[in-house]
Amino acid sequence: MKFAALKNVWDRELRVMFSRPIYLFATVFVMGFCYIFFLTMMKEGLPEKLPVAIVDLDNSAISRRFYRELNATQAVEVVSKCSSYSEARDLLQKGDIYGFILVPRDFYKNLLGNKRPEISFYVNNTYLVAGTLAYRDMLTMSTLAPAAYQREILRKKGMADDDAIMGRIQPIVIDSHLIGNPWSNYGVYLINLLLPGVLQLMIILMTVFSIGIELKVRSSREWLAAGNGSIVTALTGKLLPYTILFSILGIAGNVLLYKFIGYPMNGSFALFSIATFLFVVAHQAIGIFMIGLFPVLRDAISFGALYGILSFTYAGFTFPIDAMPPLAQGPSVLFPMRHYFQIYTNEVLNGAPFAYSIVYYAALLSFLILPFIIVRRLEKALINQNYPLK
Amino acid sequence: MKKSSDFIKYLTDGLSDMMQICMDEFKRIFGDRGVVLIFFVAATIYPLLYNGLYKNEVVYELPVAVVDLSQSAESREFIKKIDATQEVCIKENCMSLEQARDLFLRHKVRGIVYFPSDYHLKLRNMEQATVSIYNDMSSFLYYKAMTMGVSYAMLDEMKSIQINRYNAAGITGEQQAQLMQAIPSSDVVLYNPGSGFSSFLVPVFLILIIHQTLFFGITMLAGTAREESRSHSQVPVHLHGRGIYRVVLGKGLSYFILYFLLSAYILVLIPRWFNLPHIGSIWTLFHMVVPFLIATIFFSMSVSVFVKNRETGLISFLFCTLILLFLGGFSWPRASMPDFWKYFSYLFPSTHGIQAYLKINSTGAQLSQIRFEYIWMWIQSGIYLITACLSMLYVVKKEKALMP
Repeated sequence: MKFAALKNVWDRELRVMFSRPIYLFATVFVMGFCYIFFLTMMKEGLPEKLPVAIVDLDNSAISRRFYRELNATQAVEVVSKCSSYSEARDLLQKGDIYGFILVPRDFYKNLLGNKRPEISFYVNNTYLVAGTLAYRDMLTMSTLAPAAYQREILRKKGMADDDAIMGRIQPIVIDSHLIGNPWSNYGVYLINLLLPGVLQLMIILMTVFSIGIELKVRSSREWLAAGNGSIVTALTGKLLPYTILFSILGIAGNVLLYKFIGYPMNGSFALFSIATFLFVVAHQAIGIFMIGLFPVLRDAISFGALYGILSFTYAGFTFPIDAMPPLAQGPSVLFPMRHYFQIYTNEVLNGAPFAYSIVYYAALLSFLILPFIIVRRLEKALINQNYPLK
Repeated sequence: MKKSSDFIKYLTDGLSDMMQICMDEFKRIFGDRGVVLIFFVAATIYPLLYNGLYKNEVVYELPVAVVDLSQSAESREFIKKIDATQEVCIKENCMSLEQARDLFLRHKVRGIVYFPSDYHLKLRNMEQATVSIYNDMSSFLYYKAMTMGVSYAMLDEMKSIQINRYNAAGITGEQQAQLMQAIPSSDVVLYNPGSGFSSFLVPVFLILIIHQTLFFGITMLAGTAREESRSHSQVPVHLHGRGIYRVVLGKGLSYFILYFLLSAYILVLIPRWFNLPHIGSIWTLFHMVVPFLIATIFFSMSVSVFVKNRETGLISFLFCTLILLFLGGFSWPRASMPDFWKYFSYLFPSTHGIQAYLKINSTGAQLSQIRFEYIWMWIQSGIYLITACLSMLYVVKKEKALMP
């Protein structure tokens, strides 16, 4: 590989990149927009003040206490008092509230009469996250309120020691450790992986586009000539600007998330950034493979889009891979997103020693074999220009 | 008299031009491999694919390691109960936390339950005993399964302990129940009762699949037409460049007919085949689909003014799929969305389509309960019809200026 030829191709590609707005749009603008979008969208970390309602058919001192206690929990806020079940259900169906609590008629009277009256709560899990959080806080309220009542009874019976009372009421306590995401921050679950997801989508599309456009406008021979006739030089010179650009965008994202925003980073930032670099080149390799396999720009773009969208699912951070049907689990190894997610889990969340992740780094590297499989076919297509333009 | 016959001629001419353009557009759609791939293959395969991948809905039998330093009847009893839940399965018994941690880091187990050596002693002394759990936070569903499984087992175990204690103290029956739980509570999950992931996510995907395949198909057709500089040729010659709205309505009609049929498959048949929530009435669904499709079609035709080539639509706007997903307000709740993004989301037909479809199909809402979305989609239809005409006018003028 001659340096002059490489420089030649590199210069040629830079000229192309600044000649049309799509190049800057699909790299800097898209990533910048997504960083801003997701970080401002979920800036609270956990949804707060989710609207819920209370159906208070009793209207007693204790039912008003439920109202106050529910309002005091972290995630929900009582936005309306309904006079009937059907009124609350209407609000639930309209999506105005995510859940409601129902205190039946004569609740206080029955409580005093030792008749164990029941409170019920209703949630809408169509909105799974909001529903789960509303459910959790209503459940907390409905266990804490009776516990307070029970404590009063035990005190009246002459137990003075609070510890002993708690030992009676709640013999077992669970001490929960949330490894790597101690506040169960929703942004940590999603943003840390959504952003690399967008990155891989753009890398694949831009790799396919930057090569495919040469075929489409029939400038591929000129491109090869700039690289002194060597396909390896031509590809390297063309894709290197993107390697650098996307690596900067990816690592800038890491800086933003783990240094600036302060999401937990329990392992080595440097090692994780190396993984980000491998992630970039692995997807470039996949891009080359796709345009080599289908040397028609529009077909390769369509397949790239299909693959890039599937990557989000096959990373396994929303729905775990091991919960998928066995037959569907296998293909996950074909997506660098999957291996990157494993490295992320080990490095960022669990702070595991490097030895635990080495296999995933190797997996990312192995995608670099792909271009070598397809390079001859691509070269022929570039020289012969014998594929249909559309 | 003359005036009214002129008007009738104007109408019939307009209609026949429109039908002609509609038929031409059908030919163009079916003659383009890329558009067929998007309109028919993507729109039919994606719903099947996602239903297949998310088929299991929830995480069952999460593999978990136990470190039992208490080695007592009490701890063994609790462990048995954890193992018996459907959420969690005890896969490994470890001698130390170190050993369990190794399994955890190798992803062999997704959680650890740790019993300290004084667990049983505290229980026997009637003090509070602590059990520690360590959660794998890489996926929300792992965390949820672990927390739920252990909590259910704990509540059950506490009940047994209290029953034993009260029995030993000679307190039984109604008095015992009163002491243990003065205020029982019941919870009812009214909609998506299984808390299933697929029932939560896939209905949203279905709407987005319609929105995005329409968008990318339309922008691809527009980009191709512009590459070949033939957008202007679609304006009927005898109108000398006027009558843009006939072209827009004619093209729109062809997309509408196709997608009306596809919507029946995606929004009505798919949820029934895969047992996704489908408690809404088909009639209400019909009312929602019509403005949703019209708004989406004219929205896409308006935006296509920015698409100058066949492929650039996909490259520039594919990432928007993800943005639209979150603007839909089903995952990150609308109530917690910053105001700017909330109003921004009103621009897109998918936002109202997602909300309306979830309310109808998953919670059985009537038309009156989705009034907000319904009105918004018609407003969008009107506005985007105007912008689609303007965008078409711009493209045609530009092409004519380039003509020799």
